[in-house]
Amino acid sequence: MTQPTGELFDLGYQHYDGPREGRMRARKAVFIDGFRTTLGLGRGAGAKVLPMLLFGSAMAPAIILALINSLSEGQIDLPGHAEYYQIVSVVLLIFAAIIAPELLCPDRRNGVISLYLVRPLSITDYVAARWLAFFAVTILLVYSGQIVLLAGLVLAAADPLEYLKDNWLDIPRILAAGFLLAAFITTLPLAVSAFTDRRAFAAAFVIGIFIISAAAAGALTECDNNHGRGPGGQCENVTGDAAKWFGMMDVSRVPTNVNQIIFDAESAGVRSRLTSELPRIVPIGWYIILTGGLATTLWLRYRRISA
Amino acid sequence: MATLLEAKALTKHYGQTIALESVNFQVQEGITGLLGPNGAGKSTAIKLFLGLLKPTSGSAEVLGERPYESLGIRARLGYMPEHDCLPTASTASEFLTHMAQVSGIPPAQARTRSADILRHVGLEEERYRPIGQYSTGMKQRVKLAQSLAHDPTVVLLDEPTAGLDPGGREEMLRLIRRTGREFGISIVLSSHLMGDVESTCDRIIVLEGGHVTEEGAVAQFTRETETVLIDVDSNRDELIAALAKRGVTALIDGVSLTVVLDSEDQYDAIRDSLVETNARLRRMALRRHQLTDIFRVGQE
Repeated sequence: MTQPTGELFDLGYQHYDGPREGRMRARKAVFIDGFRTTLGLGRGAGAKVLPMLLFGSAMAPAIILALINSLSEGQIDLPGHAEYYQIVSVVLLIFAAIIAPELLCPDRRNGVISLYLVRPLSITDYVAARWLAFFAVTILLVYSGQIVLLAGLVLAAADPLEYLKDNWLDIPRILAAGFLLAAFITTLPLAVSAFTDRRAFAAAFVIGIFIISAAAAGALTECDNNHGRGPGGQCENVTGDAAKWFGMMDVSRVPTNVNQIIFDAESAGVRSRLTSELPRIVPIGWYIILTGGLATTLWLRYRRISA
Repeated sequence: MATLLEAKALTKHYGQTIALESVNFQVQEGITGLLGPNGAGKSTAIKLFLGLLKPTSGSAEVLGERPYESLGIRARLGYMPEHDCLPTASTASEFLTHMAQVSGIPPAQARTRSADILRHVGLEEERYRPIGQYSTGMKQRVKLAQSLAHDPTVVLLDEPTAGLDPGGREEMLRLIRRTGREFGISIVLSSHLMGDVESTCDRIIVLEGGHVTEEGAVAQFTRETETVLIDVDSNRDELIAALAKRGVTALIDGVSLTVVLDSEDQYDAIRDSLVETNARLRRMALRRHQLTDIFRVGQE
């Protein structure tokens, strides 16, 4: 005799008696959601275009440099680790300006923030988790580029082990400079996003800061054509000695100025050369003040939202 | 019955404005209505119980804890705000799964809860569509669903029928009743509509101008204020006199007379008075939404 093997029941509402993981689960959930939003995962194809472009434009220089290096067997003097961050920083900054506001603006615009505020996490947890999510994506990106580049350089070397022995210092430098670059390009657009719930405004404002600060720095540090070049073909700046300081105004160069110090590298471009004449503590201090100040602004702004 | 929420001398000032002034009340299991006109302090009270606001003085306690100080207790609370609070790009399924996790439920269980709750609120078919494409009624159901995703002990619903058409409103109230009765989740529902509260709640707390003016079971309110409305085309004054003679007080309310009933015998008195005065009766009805009277008394 056959027994009925299955039956359908409407069990009605089921109470949940499984584990409740509280604040830690809440933080993780906001982090993972931010990470997925940044990469456009779980969204339509349109949401993935920008992250793909970002990935492509960050990786392309590393791959190209690595390829040329291995093909030329190290004969051509190509940009290396120190220059890689400089090359990708502008592109990263622009993409960050466009993508990062996505993590904060819609939650306030749609009112979802009020649902986070009544759940078992603090507003600091929320902002920190969003910040970490974007930071995680950017740092993975800049490190991947450097790793590809490093792999290319090592493999192209006549004696890979010897190359690593000679250049081992590049690895901590890559890690430190990448960390600082990622922290900066995460903090600036997120801090701006705390002041508007329109993504487009935040993006335009951040890109505007880059353009205006670069233009201002350019005007204040350019060579004075009336006086021509000074003795020894040196460029005389319009603002004289103060030009060194004005050179730091260029916001997009704040992290790369520190990058040059970390790699102890010759700087390309007039402005970076000017800032490198300053005591090292100055560009480092400026980076810390600016990034720290922006992070504090972001945090304080959100603390007020919660009240 | 366990006390779920308790306001103890709860006071909230916004600068010079007093939203709540030394309010005391308790909310027990079941469905409790927080009734009052706009600006009475309903939303402020809800936000204090959620820990969104800090009391100026006194305390708002949930299961003996203060949500403003204790994040943990918030895992036991659900909240459906009055205003928009939904993402447009996510699907209802993703959104609920995410929100359940933010309330501390692990991912696998959060997905199961999300599917279950969406089925209970009648959004099973649409759950993989972006919320941006939903109708107002559907969005309102997602708002209710997210407040239930983590199986809270008590949910606070702020004006849950706001912006709904009559059909949608009835549907929402039906869902709220089911949540309270079948799911066994206690509910605090704020509304300025007596109809909502009367048809849904077990108990009512009436807030006006930052004070609790009335409190009690819904049945008690409707019984206390049961009123007969009488419209006559002629001999109205004679009718009033005839009623007075039989010990029944009739009040003039516009073109109608109203009689507050305190016993069944008064129906006979009304009938006899009508016959005696030969007043032409146009309409006689029991007034349905009696809770309006609570406000009228309060405003006088």
